[in-house]
Amino acid sequence: MSLRRSGMLAWLGISLTLMAWTESQARPTVYVVNYPLQYFAERIGAGQVHVVFPAPADEDPAFWKPDVETIAAFQAADLILINGAAYARWLKTASLPKSKMIDTSRRFKVDYIEIQGTGTHSHGPTGEHSHAGTAFTTWLDFRQAAQQAQAVMEGLSRLLPEHKDAFERRYAELEQDLLALDERLGTIVAGQREQPLLASHPVYQYLAKRHGLNLQSVLWEPEVMPDDAQWDGLRSILQAHDAAWMLWEGDPLPASADKLQALGIKSLVFDPCGNTPEQGDFFSVMQQNVTRLLQAFQ
Amino acid sequence: MTDAQLPFIAIERLTFQYPEGDFYLHIPELGIDAGTKAAVIGPSGSGKTTLINLLAGIVSAVSGQIRVHGASLDQLGDAERRRFRIANVGFVFQDFALLDYLTILDNILHPYRINRALNLTPQVREHVVHLADIMGIADKLKRHVHHLSQGEKQRAAICRALATRPPLLLADEPTGNLDPANKSHILQHLFQYVDEAGATLVAVTHDHGLLSGFDRVVDFQAFDRPQRA
Amino acid sequence: MHSLYVAWQYLRFHKVKAVVLIAALTLITCLPLAVHILVRASEVQMLARSQATPLILGQKGSALDLVMNTLYFASKPPETITMREADRIDETGFAFAIPLYNRYTARGFPIVGTTLDYVSFRRLEIASGRMLAVLGECVLGAAVADQLGLGPGDTLISTPENPFDLAGVYPLKMQVVGVLKTRHTPDDRAVFVDVRTAWVIEGLGHGHEDVAAARDPQVVLTEQDGKLVASAKIVQYTEITPENIDSFHFHGDTGQFPLTSVIAVPHDDKAATLLMGRYLPETSAFLLIKPLGVVKALLQNIFKIQRVLNIIFAVVSVAMLLTIVLIITLSLRLRQTEIETMYKLGCSRLKMAELVAAELGVIVVVSLMLTAGLTGLALHWQTALMQQFLS
Repeated sequence: MSLRRSGMLAWLGISLTLMAWTESQARPTVYVVNYPLQYFAERIGAGQVHVVFPAPADEDPAFWKPDVETIAAFQAADLILINGAAYARWLKTASLPKSKMIDTSRRFKVDYIEIQGTGTHSHGPTGEHSHAGTAFTTWLDFRQAAQQAQAVMEGLSRLLPEHKDAFERRYAELEQDLLALDERLGTIVAGQREQPLLASHPVYQYLAKRHGLNLQSVLWEPEVMPDDAQWDGLRSILQAHDAAWMLWEGDPLPASADKLQALGIKSLVFDPCGNTPEQGDFFSVMQQNVTRLLQAFQ
Repeated sequence: MTDAQLPFIAIERLTFQYPEGDFYLHIPELGIDAGTKAAVIGPSGSGKTTLINLLAGIVSAVSGQIRVHGASLDQLGDAERRRFRIANVGFVFQDFALLDYLTILDNILHPYRINRALNLTPQVREHVVHLADIMGIADKLKRHVHHLSQGEKQRAAICRALATRPPLLLADEPTGNLDPANKSHILQHLFQYVDEAGATLVAVTHDHGLLSGFDRVVDFQAFDRPQRA
Repeated sequence: MHSLYVAWQYLRFHKVKAVVLIAALTLITCLPLAVHILVRASEVQMLARSQATPLILGQKGSALDLVMNTLYFASKPPETITMREADRIDETGFAFAIPLYNRYTARGFPIVGTTLDYVSFRRLEIASGRMLAVLGECVLGAAVADQLGLGPGDTLISTPENPFDLAGVYPLKMQVVGVLKTRHTPDDRAVFVDVRTAWVIEGLGHGHEDVAAARDPQVVLTEQDGKLVASAKIVQYTEITPENIDSFHFHGDTGQFPLTSVIAVPHDDKAATLLMGRYLPETSAFLLIKPLGVVKALLQNIFKIQRVLNIIFAVVSVAMLLTIVLIITLSLRLRQTEIETMYKLGCSRLKMAELVAAELGVIVVVSLMLTAGLTGLALHWQTALMQQFLS
């Protein structure tokens, strides 16, 4: 190989490396607080943005608390997508640039569901107040999810106006998918809306509200066997709420499932998908959820 | 009399008066030879200091002739008389007239600094240090005036008068402010210089006790005071 | 050279006189120059800061108070507006809003409660430590850090508005996490906190033990219909720590929480005009102003004052020069004997004039050098100096 040729090859190599580097530098960074937003941003942004969802896979992003370095990374991002509805408790006390933040559920703020049931108390001169929070799994109402995706699309378009058309096109596809899923779910439950259902955890409020489901929640964890008091609590619920199915966030312990089965309650998993799923993506997980829900409504 | 035969100081029919006031001086004739140590005495207001000023060319006569060291002062203008003074006259004042803001050395060298005609060379500095040594004030050269005693001040003043090696030394009451011991010391220094340099000394004095050291005494009482012209 | 030497000896010997003359001359020349430089610097800085701040929203009232508080964190806080107003500006889509709550102080420096948008808007950079991350932290302006001798890792306690107000504002011990680079703007003299931290100082948000989990049974007074009534025994935190931060919360709707002003940054000129249209003085309950106009009006007053000062300086200068002439004349008269002696020693009148001129020359040159030096210093430190005057 001549010297000239090897020189040219070296030049080409350097140029390509530089191009790759500048591209990664030029690509704006978008930080998100949960997996659904990551999915929306990646589907709409499709390579034009670098989406980062820093919560560890084994933590619930709603209650996860980032360290100072991660907060700094959020601050340095070009766009911060938050879920709104009090999702990600750490946002309450973290300092983030307001101008970079997009509250994706802001548009349907009036539809937030307040969770009742935790204690209220009062102290000092300011009177009584409640620590009851806002239900935050907003995306389980797929129409709301579509609106969140729309907010994502608008944020990305503001960030990269030159790609606005592409973002809008991809959003339209995503919206179509979400609305189709919503419709399918609607069709599934249409006949038996009144059927009593149980939820292992109060995360399905928006789903229930959207489709008028008759859903009551307990406070169980899939990986923990409920104690006697919790079983007693369930039995007292069952007296007025004769449910045949319980929705779980994840696969319940076989013992829990068996014991439920003995009470005449079958288990099905409806994964809210707040964190990255082990298999598939947001859409496939939701499709599976809907498919599984079908069993309860046959 | 030719120029060569004339005395070092030759005054003839000299009259002087200030533009204002009653003072009037008339010297019909006065000759003082070179190398003479002359004392000028007379009552206050008789014109002794005026004579000194006339000899130095500080003031000029109204009429008559006054020749010093070959120069007809009565015919010279202000600037020329000043040049004559720089070249020929060393002054010793009764009040020493030292400048308080200069060191003794700077005071002695002062004539060199204020007259372009005089050139302050290293030789001059050497000479001045030598003079100070003779006068016994060599260790005071870096001092300011207020650190010195009266006697030391007058010695410094004499050094300044002698720094330019003048042929004519004019002293106006040089011992007036001094104690007796200093008086004779100062006079001895003046006489020594005059003797060594062959210079001429004209010293106004009130102190008749000192007259014995002089070659000649000019008594202003001897000059009659004619009516004003 | 001899004349200069003699003149120098004279001035050295009469030090006091020389110093007084030099000082007087320096003052005469320096004062108007210094005032000019400061006025210029204040103009430049005030204009720059107001130009860099497109729009300010605040409660109707004194526009000057609003601008001074927003731009210079002046001590008198204007009437408050609510956080909702900042959100409204964001919702218009014409501008983004930077909320400001500048009411409290810490050891004499204003605590500026805002969002990180302020930091990027003003292009503030961290010199040491890091930017605010969570509630209870503060970042210090360079001058604050310098004057209080504080840096990352230290703490700073907010000054209570009224030390006898037991129910109201609790002093908050803030964690210093960073120090900003010097900008020679009022930002150097401010303590920056998250606006919510400022609300915590206000007493609107606080942390406490979870009543239900409190170990001390005395904490819970009564339990009625599932509501726990807590006694005042619950600890009121004066410091936000990693241990208690999760218990910090705000009572009520944060949209109703107070702000002293909002900086509105329009996306473009058209958006600015459209936004202004939303806040017409006749119809709006609030004041949306361009600070530049307010500051220009203020500068007009400063210029008027400068003109008056210039006249005063001119009169004082003439008086001082006359005094100096008098001093010199008197001193020459006092030096009459000296002058006569010098004349007798053969000194010409010209040389005499030269000696006096040399003395004056040394005084003038030294004064001018001092003036030049001081002016140079003033120019070099004008922005820093200005800051002292503006805050």
